[in-house]
Amino acid sequence: MMIKFIKAMKAEMLKQHKVYFHNKIIYVSLFIWPLLSFISSYFSFKPFNINSSTVSYLNEKNLLIFILLGYICMSFFRSLVQSAWNFSFERLSGTLEYIYLSPVNRFAVILGNALSSLFESVWVMVVFSIGIFIMKHEYFNINIPAAIITFLLMIIMAIMWGMLLNALFLFSRDSSFLFTVLEEPMEIFSGVKVPTTIFPFWAKIISFIFPLTYALDAIRKVFLNGANLAEVKSSILCSIFIILLMFVIINLCLILGEKHAKKTGNMTLF
Amino acid sequence: MIKVENLAKTYETKVRKGFFKSNKVQLEAVKNICMEIDKGKIIGLLGINGAGKTTTIKMLSTLLLPTAGSITVDGIDAIKNPMTVKKRINMVAGGERMIYWRLTGRENLWYYGQIYGIDDKILSKRIDELLNLVGITHKQDTPVENYSKGMKQRLQIARGLINNPDYIFMDEPTLGLDALIAKELRQHVKKIACEDGKGILLTSHYMAEIEELCDYVYILNKGEIIEKGTPKNLAMLGLKNKTVYLKVEKNSVAYEGIYNACRLTDNSVVVEHDNKEDQFIITSALDLKLTLSKFCMNNKVPIIKLYEEEPKLEDAIIRFAKEA
Repeated sequence: MMIKFIKAMKAEMLKQHKVYFHNKIIYVSLFIWPLLSFISSYFSFKPFNINSSTVSYLNEKNLLIFILLGYICMSFFRSLVQSAWNFSFERLSGTLEYIYLSPVNRFAVILGNALSSLFESVWVMVVFSIGIFIMKHEYFNINIPAAIITFLLMIIMAIMWGMLLNALFLFSRDSSFLFTVLEEPMEIFSGVKVPTTIFPFWAKIISFIFPLTYALDAIRKVFLNGANLAEVKSSILCSIFIILLMFVIINLCLILGEKHAKKTGNMTLF
Repeated sequence: MIKVENLAKTYETKVRKGFFKSNKVQLEAVKNICMEIDKGKIIGLLGINGAGKTTTIKMLSTLLLPTAGSITVDGIDAIKNPMTVKKRINMVAGGERMIYWRLTGRENLWYYGQIYGIDDKILSKRIDELLNLVGITHKQDTPVENYSKGMKQRLQIARGLINNPDYIFMDEPTLGLDALIAKELRQHVKKIACEDGKGILLTSHYMAEIEELCDYVYILNKGEIIEKGTPKNLAMLGLKNKTVYLKVEKNSVAYEGIYNACRLTDNSVVVEHDNKEDQFIITSALDLKLTLSKFCMNNKVPIIKLYEEEPKLEDAIIRFAKEA
């Protein structure tokens, strides 16, 4: 059972890699956009006096790292929104019908899709960021065990986020609006550019919707403020809760979606 | 054997009645379908567009849940145990969709083999065999986007066989192919049924294909089976008038002679003379071959040829659909 699950997941990863990353230029494009956004955000902070900020882990010196951490995490999440959007074409091209025709574990398929996109899309950005981090290492104040745990949690959360979107995109004929709803607002409201602590009340409420908010808050505290696990406990617990919640919703979506498709004859839930 | 009993499917669709209002409408796509598909046999499912062929195939392939009735595949209930049944069946659809164009032919088969959980060693061997069977071994490492239409369709057939299913549902597998490639594909289909012993359910709009391949045919109209039988029997059943062609030696008999001889048997007979071929064309609801040969013998008219036109399944389908 487990072997078949892994085989299906691996096959899906390889298929997605060959279908969507067939050209090396794609990697350049996946790097250029976050890089440009990062540069634009960084320089828009420049005219202001950051040192007078009320945010504990943000000052003039570590501004670059602060924003870069935001964009790395954003890259993980963004890549999965795009992968889900790509996967929705499986429904249009008819290949989804053949996937449903097989006894494959549906969860394995969308997990494979999410994993493939996650690593494919962000590795160039990660390599770039590591380079910057090495150059600016003196501005870091890292708690290493907490950093490993929060970063892993962020990756798991990104995968779950991607799978959730995959599950939604899979069954929705009009799912392209989700791309618009989730892509830009996530960048604005999750605190990628501006910390959520300085948001007005209404914007803070919106920021709670995006799992990236919790991951980013914990990562910045750990990387820039040397916060230990106890200090980011609430963010970690929130992240775990969100991961579990997304896991339940993903499975529910897959079951309901297939049930609906079998009842109506089309792969469109909404 | 696949046994289908009283299969029915009703769709619920919404009809818009203004911006906020919509009415639910029940649409009976398929009703009371009973059929059997044996291993090693090719069963045809015919009908005009919208007759319910694709709905039936989707229900048999577990993609669609019937509203009523039962489907058993080798004794397994396909509605209660779809995951078990999925291992024994597969589907091939016509057209160029449903395969990954950026993957090579071999990669496509590998992917589908993996999602069926086939062991790697067995899969590699099976891919070789299937590529060989459909004759695209030489193009196995070429991306599908560079394949011709016929090659894509051959790959579809190979994909349909990847899990070595006992039963295959083929929905217009030769759609849009030229005569030569369609003929080649028909040979593959025949081979799959006769040599490999797989049960095939085939839908097609090409009647010649059905006549050539199918052992038994079900004709669907408005979701119901209106006729069933062998292609030959169905063609005969659908034949309203028989057409007999008679060519005799020049000027050995007059038109009136033939007409009067035929009228004695069938009052409503139509006799025409085809000047181009210099032959008589006799159309009647009755078999007049014997009457004509007796007439020629008695009047010492030398017959050059006397034959009856073969009944066509296509005419039968049209007639059944009109009558229904």
